[in-house]
Amino acid sequence: MSAAAANDAILVAENIAVRYDTAEGPVTAVDDVSFEVKPGEFLSVIGPSGCGKSTLFNVIGGLLGQHQGVVSVAGETISGPHKSIGMVFQEESTFPWRTVIDNVGFPLELVGMPKAKRAERARYFIKMVGLDGFENRYPGELSGGMRQRVSLARTLASEPKILLMDEPFAALDEQTRLLLGDKVLQIQQQLKQTTLLITHNITEAVQMSDRILVMTYRPGKVKRIVDINLPRPRNSEIVGSEAFGRYVAQIWNDLREEASRGMKDAEQSALHGGETQ
Amino acid sequence: MAETGRLTHTRAATSAANPVLLMRIALVLALLTIWELLARSGWLYRDVVPSLFKVGAAVMELLSNGDYYFNLGVTAAEIGVALLIGGLSGIAIGLLLGANRFLARAYEPFLYYLGPTPKIIFFPVMIMWFGVGPESKIALGTLSCFFPVALSVAAGMRQIDKVLIRVGTSFRATIAQMVFKIYLPAMRHPIINGVRLGFGFALIGTLLAETKLSNKGIGFLIIQAYSTFDMPRMYAMLIVLFVLAFCVNAAIGRLGGLETIKRT
Amino acid sequence: MTSVSTPAHVAQNPYNAQILGWGSIVVFLLAAEGLIRLGFISQFIVPPPSEIAVSFGRLVAEEHIIRRFFYTVGECLAAGAMITVCGVAVGVLLARYNLLRQACETWVAALASAPFVLAYPLFMVIFGRNAWAIIVMGFVSGLPPVILKTIEGISGTRRVLVNVGRSFNLSGTQQVWKILFPAALPTIFVGIRLGLVFALINIVGTEFLINFGGLGQLIADLAERYDLAGTYAAICFVILVSIVFFVTLEQIERWLRPVD
Repeated sequence: MSAAAANDAILVAENIAVRYDTAEGPVTAVDDVSFEVKPGEFLSVIGPSGCGKSTLFNVIGGLLGQHQGVVSVAGETISGPHKSIGMVFQEESTFPWRTVIDNVGFPLELVGMPKAKRAERARYFIKMVGLDGFENRYPGELSGGMRQRVSLARTLASEPKILLMDEPFAALDEQTRLLLGDKVLQIQQQLKQTTLLITHNITEAVQMSDRILVMTYRPGKVKRIVDINLPRPRNSEIVGSEAFGRYVAQIWNDLREEASRGMKDAEQSALHGGETQ
Repeated sequence: MAETGRLTHTRAATSAANPVLLMRIALVLALLTIWELLARSGWLYRDVVPSLFKVGAAVMELLSNGDYYFNLGVTAAEIGVALLIGGLSGIAIGLLLGANRFLARAYEPFLYYLGPTPKIIFFPVMIMWFGVGPESKIALGTLSCFFPVALSVAAGMRQIDKVLIRVGTSFRATIAQMVFKIYLPAMRHPIINGVRLGFGFALIGTLLAETKLSNKGIGFLIIQAYSTFDMPRMYAMLIVLFVLAFCVNAAIGRLGGLETIKRT
Repeated sequence: MTSVSTPAHVAQNPYNAQILGWGSIVVFLLAAEGLIRLGFISQFIVPPPSEIAVSFGRLVAEEHIIRRFFYTVGECLAAGAMITVCGVAVGVLLARYNLLRQACETWVAALASAPFVLAYPLFMVIFGRNAWAIIVMGFVSGLPPVILKTIEGISGTRRVLVNVGRSFNLSGTQQVWKILFPAALPTIFVGIRLGLVFALINIVGTEFLINFGGLGQLIADLAERYDLAGTYAAICFVILVSIVFFVTLEQIERWLRPVD
């Protein structure tokens, strides 16, 4: 298996499985998921709610210790948060008590970078996400979209080999989301950043990705991997094109089945007194 | 809970500010007048309620007396040390209990139920352990302020936005970095509130101990005034004390960015 | 989630935590007993726990600790009654007349954290060294929370209930007594509980300080007589009483809370 992985994949996930015990018995959140990400590639993982994609996010990020299978970055197995992997979370995660520049400089502070260099590096990434001029503002003074950009800049500042994002735009409105998606694409193309995006939004996934991994409903398995052969560089204008529409339809087809299984499940548990979860 | 139509009118229209101010002035004047009348009526034993002028004079005398400042310094130092020891240990224990649910279930109930108990009754034990000097007062102040600080910090820990912790973990912060760069700043409000409470309790504990047994400090001066029946002086000291306590309380709150006086 | 975690199988058993908690106390007491008996800690500063436990019997028989207990409780009940009547009355008044409320509420809030007990020598002067000084001290320290919670309870009533009253043409005062007040009772009781707790703490403290009264005085007395074991035992007893008092009030409050 590792011989085949020598097609210089930078991130390899092998047979990832996550099982845990609940009051109602053992639950398998993720079941035997394997995939690879090549350097510079943009891979999206898409699935219905409850398919375990956030669990997968936590496993790859090293925040979830109890799992089966192996995650390796550039050949090195991961056991815990790794310096090659940068995470951007779904929720508001900027530190409200730090200014923008202090937020972005946070990972650099942790490794002891001297102050001047830190400021310079932070400013570079602040500019990259389009927030120059806001260095000395507090997150409380910014909009939700701007705060997510700060979180993104903060993670980018640690210059990870792999950028791992868990539905970073979920809390934003559609227009902001599309524009931010543009920004992320721009950055990714500029930095040639390997990116793994977890999302439930098909449009977003097709807009940004080179490949899309479609997951089944719980227990989450890989249903299909779709190559997105849309020309690069891309931006949100591509959303209107015919090829785009076809990809979206294809993926929705796969997802619809899984999503309705998820809905039925939710109805069942509500019927039985809603004691699950 | 239905948001529709609570009776509370919390916004005071700016045009209503004036009547409120007038009402306050009226109330204060009324109280002061009643006081002065009582003082002059001869109803109560001489000087139990002294004339406001006598009290005012006593305050002036107090504030210009070097001896007073010496004793104030002694008390302030005792409270400071008590707050330092009690506050730091309270924060440390609070952090531990907030971080670990199991330990919290094991030990926090003890803190919670021992909190609202009178600590001054421990003073004889403190004297036995630490002697009759300032150490026993500091010990009592420490005991008094430890509980509210520990409980506030433990509760504050549990209210931290969990995602901030995951951010730190994802950047592989060390424990020290997590504590100083994430936990403590995220908890600045509960910590400040805990310290305010702690200050209040340390103040009470230390001062009461001084009134019971000491030869220095504000508490000592208060008892001295009592035993010489120098009532204007006692009132003066109590007034200055309450004003100082109020100011320190407000200053701590301002430090934490909290503008208004909050009840816990 | 954090770096300080317990093994899952240990943490999940609900009784393990309590075993750890109480067990620690038992271990601590045994260790204390051992260290003191072996001379590592002077028994003239800390008597062995066993001796403290034994002297409790003496406190019951010779020092009339039970009688003193009822004396202190009596003071608390007196203060409690005064707190309830005055506190609720003032609270209702402030809730009813908005101008008064806006003027006074922050003052009362400031008073809630004011260290009244420091003025006990003053109370001694005014009332003499007797039970009244103690009761009034309890009253003064327990009053602010009752007022504040009464205001909060009454002004927090749902609008629809108020409108029901309006539809029956109730006057302002009737409104207060027939609708707002009953709806506010659970919150008011929270205030009374807080007030009682402050009152008890300050009553016992004052008894100790002025050397008069029930339990507080007992501790001061025993300390003065250098009855070490007795002093420790009395302190333990008072702490126990406070805890039981607090727990009981919590239970009552829980029982009174509406199914809201």
